[in-house]
Amino acid sequence: MSNKILQIVLEGLIMGGIYALISMGLTMQYGVARILNVSHGEFIMVGAFITWMLTTMAGISPLLALIICMPVTFLIGYILHRTLYKKLKDLTPSAGAYEGNAMLISFGLMFIIQSVAQKIWGSSPQGYKYLTFSFKIGKTAIAVNRLFVLFVTIIISVIFYFFLNRTRMGKAIRASSQDPAAAGMMGIKINRVMAICFGIGAILAGIAGSLLSMINNINTSMGMNYTVIALIVVVLGGLGSIPGSLVGGLILGFVGSIVNRIDTSLYMVVFYVLIMVLLLVRPKGLLGR
Amino acid sequence: MPILEIENLNCFYGNVQVLWDVSLKVEKSEIVALLGANGAGKSTLLNTIVGLVPPKSGSIRFMGEDIVNLSGSEIIERGISYLPEGGRLFPDMTIRENLELGAYPMKYWKSRKATLDMVFDMFPILKERQKQLARTLSGGEKQMLAMGRGLMSNPSLCLLDELSYGLSPLMASEVFDIVKKLREQGITVLLVEQNVRQTLEIADRAYVLENGRICLEGECCELIENDFIKTAYMGM
Repeated sequence: MSNKILQIVLEGLIMGGIYALISMGLTMQYGVARILNVSHGEFIMVGAFITWMLTTMAGISPLLALIICMPVTFLIGYILHRTLYKKLKDLTPSAGAYEGNAMLISFGLMFIIQSVAQKIWGSSPQGYKYLTFSFKIGKTAIAVNRLFVLFVTIIISVIFYFFLNRTRMGKAIRASSQDPAAAGMMGIKINRVMAICFGIGAILAGIAGSLLSMINNINTSMGMNYTVIALIVVVLGGLGSIPGSLVGGLILGFVGSIVNRIDTSLYMVVFYVLIMVLLLVRPKGLLGR
Repeated sequence: MPILEIENLNCFYGNVQVLWDVSLKVEKSEIVALLGANGAGKSTLLNTIVGLVPPKSGSIRFMGEDIVNLSGSEIIERGISYLPEGGRLFPDMTIRENLELGAYPMKYWKSRKATLDMVFDMFPILKERQKQLARTLSGGEKQMLAMGRGLMSNPSLCLLDELSYGLSPLMASEVFDIVKKLREQGITVLLVEQNVRQTLEIADRAYVLENGRICLEGECCELIENDFIKTAYMGM
């Protein structure tokens, strides 16, 4: 019994951690840059495949590959915002219209990135072996790569927390999410902050992809599922709330881990039911305002 | 040379002209008031000075230099601090963080600890509550925080928009006392106010805006006796 509980808890923490990373990324993009980035999952997929390529073809350690992924995904996100979304924002008369158009653009990006990825990497599952040995706590066997993923997730979350709360840019980002116009009056260059937030969202997705490739097989159509999960977490935790994303991600991880024990095919169904109930009971999300 | 000199400023929101040939001067260490009814263009004028609204024509000179077309942060770095109406604090950040953001341009960020001490000296209540979220403050305390944040960039000119709005008479008096204190510290003040009587008591000169035009200007000690002011703004 305790054996099972330990496994459920660990699995919940590992997947919950990854969900939290993804969702904090989406929150950065929506909370500040006002883009509900439907192509978020594609950045996860790109992160996974870059890691896979570097590991299998260049023989680099997956951890190093993850580190290389970070500036790459950041730049893709940053440049996308500086060119595409910034242009769109200048052309759109109202903030509301911009949110709608930005989401449509991100839909387009989703298909484009997916198609390009399929051309490059094909559509069959890929994978590699990394830290596949395991050790035992009591009777429970624990795969080292999963523990490693959990460890990296925690480190990234802590760094992210300190970045947002202790650095000048982090404070500018939080200010911009609360009152962009007032942030501008403080001399914060709001367009730059938005591009950086979009880039950070892409980094977090890229890291999540890297981590997923260490423990699961990956394929070029994996992104969509994670986009949906991130959307659920973000609504669950409260739109625009970073702590909400963290808590929501962990909750979803644990729920998923329990459901997986009972019937894997119910995984997404339970998530949808959860979100519907929540929307009826507490529409602003757990930690939303 | 006046610290701020505006000449023939014309401003539009879309096709609607909101400022017509506005000219005004603020001398160093003066307190100058901008009076007028709602929608007269007072806030627009302040917004134009800090670069939030681009003027159609006219000039704005600060310490002799043209500041039209400068970015918001460049204007702050020149020494102009703008306190928008309603404070516009960051509600979910602490008092300390709100203050720090007042020193956001790199030039001030590096010395923010020293500036923070200066602001805490002026507003001891902020020091006591520095870890509290801004949303938990009372109306008067919020206004103090807004003023403190405005001082974090060591301004030589403060633009204050409706500081006393929504405050109790007691709090409002306290805020006006602080404005006088700013002047003692060598900070020039241009303030927009609805509270005409108290404003005329502390300011040196005032301009009255009506429908986007300056219709009256003068020394406050004279304006306070002016019949137009009395009937239009003081209900006498």
